[in-house]
Amino acid sequence: MWSILGIITVGILISIYEVPSLLRRKLKRELWVFSILLIFGVVLSILKSLRIDIPNPLDLLTNIYKPLNDFIFDSLK
Amino acid sequence: MFKKQKISHYQFKILVVMCFVGTSILVTPGGLAAETKQDAWLAAIIGLLLSFPIVWIYNFLGNHLYNMTLIEYTEKVLGKWLGKLVSLSFIFFCFINSASLLYIVGDFVTTQIMPETPIQFTNTLFVIVVVMGSRLGIETLARAGEILYPWVIGIFIILIFLLFPNTDIKKIQPIFEHGIKTNLRGALLFMSYSSLTLIVLLMIFPAYINKPQKAKKTFLRGTLIGGLMIFIMTLFSILVLGHDFTARNVFPSYILVKKISLADFLERMEAAIATLWIITIFYKIVIYFYGAILGLAQTLNLQDYRPLTLPMAMILIVISLIIYPNVVYANTWNSTTWIPFVLTFGLFLPLLLLIVAVLRK
Repeated sequence: MWSILGIITVGILISIYEVPSLLRRKLKRELWVFSILLIFGVVLSILKSLRIDIPNPLDLLTNIYKPLNDFIFDSLK
Repeated sequence: MFKKQKISHYQFKILVVMCFVGTSILVTPGGLAAETKQDAWLAAIIGLLLSFPIVWIYNFLGNHLYNMTLIEYTEKVLGKWLGKLVSLSFIFFCFINSASLLYIVGDFVTTQIMPETPIQFTNTLFVIVVVMGSRLGIETLARAGEILYPWVIGIFIILIFLLFPNTDIKKIQPIFEHGIKTNLRGALLFMSYSSLTLIVLLMIFPAYINKPQKAKKTFLRGTLIGGLMIFIMTLFSILVLGHDFTARNVFPSYILVKKISLADFLERMEAAIATLWIITIFYKIVIYFYGAILGLAQTLNLQDYRPLTLPMAMILIVISLIIYPNVVYANTWNSTTWIPFVLTFGLFLPLLLLIVAVLRK
């Protein structure tokens, strides 16, 4: 519970720090990317703090690279 | 916004050395010794020699880049959509790398130095510095590098001199017992940690360099210095600890420096190598992180990359915590999938770009 509150506070602090200057400079595109990334980051952190399994990107890579991997190590055996 | 900052070729050399030495100095001796036993130092030499053609390819690609970063160039050469796809995968590569390096920092600090501190906090503290560095930009980082570089080299030389009394030449015999293929595999491992990861420097070189022509020479020189440092560290790990003990440790260089004992007076020097390593790995992480964020900003046609640093840092911390569930997973990943993964971006991507660029002419 405390960790979720902490994460949300951090998220709010980051937006207080960044958003005014983005609005002042009228950087709309940047604001969109910033918000999407920030929401993604906050959600990911909350999931992690609740100990919910987040899929590991390396598992995906392991599956993609399996054929090439086998080829390299078979030829160097 | 992006193009104002410039660094000199000497500062670029420092970045090359830091990036090359980065994680490798602490981790490579163990991986090499597990693969090639007492010939680990030979594999390091072969790896160093094979690094030069790789850096030469990067230099050659640098000729074509002129004033663009790798991401901008990819889009120009491969067209808008394919270019963006390749750019995004390159950004993913940089980001995953910075997360795994961050994991190694956290793992090192929590297992060796501060076992009571949870890994989340060490990672967060480290990321704060990384965010500061990437927000201040490459020029500030390069200048800080000029201050820290003499310390890195100085500590390294002192430690190596202090280790001389402990060496035992019998530990590297018999030389070349395992044949050429094992050594090539070791060399590939060496390069996968060091020279192949230098591709990320093409985000800085030549776009942010004062005199790109001079920087080409310093790119090669930096590779030589970094490679020699890792080679010497590997050689001494084998000479002092023996291949078996080196292979069994996650951080063999750290254990190695613990062996220093001069007249029962000068002991426990391991904090020195931890300092050295934290400096170099900071540069490696920051350059990867900077590369990922600058790349993302350029792919999405943003005017400023700075607003992205803090949210990306948040994601980075979480990814660094989940990326390796345990050390066994990390070791398996590093000695298998990591190698084709880094080859894709470190070797095939520049070759592809060069071939397409030549065909288009």
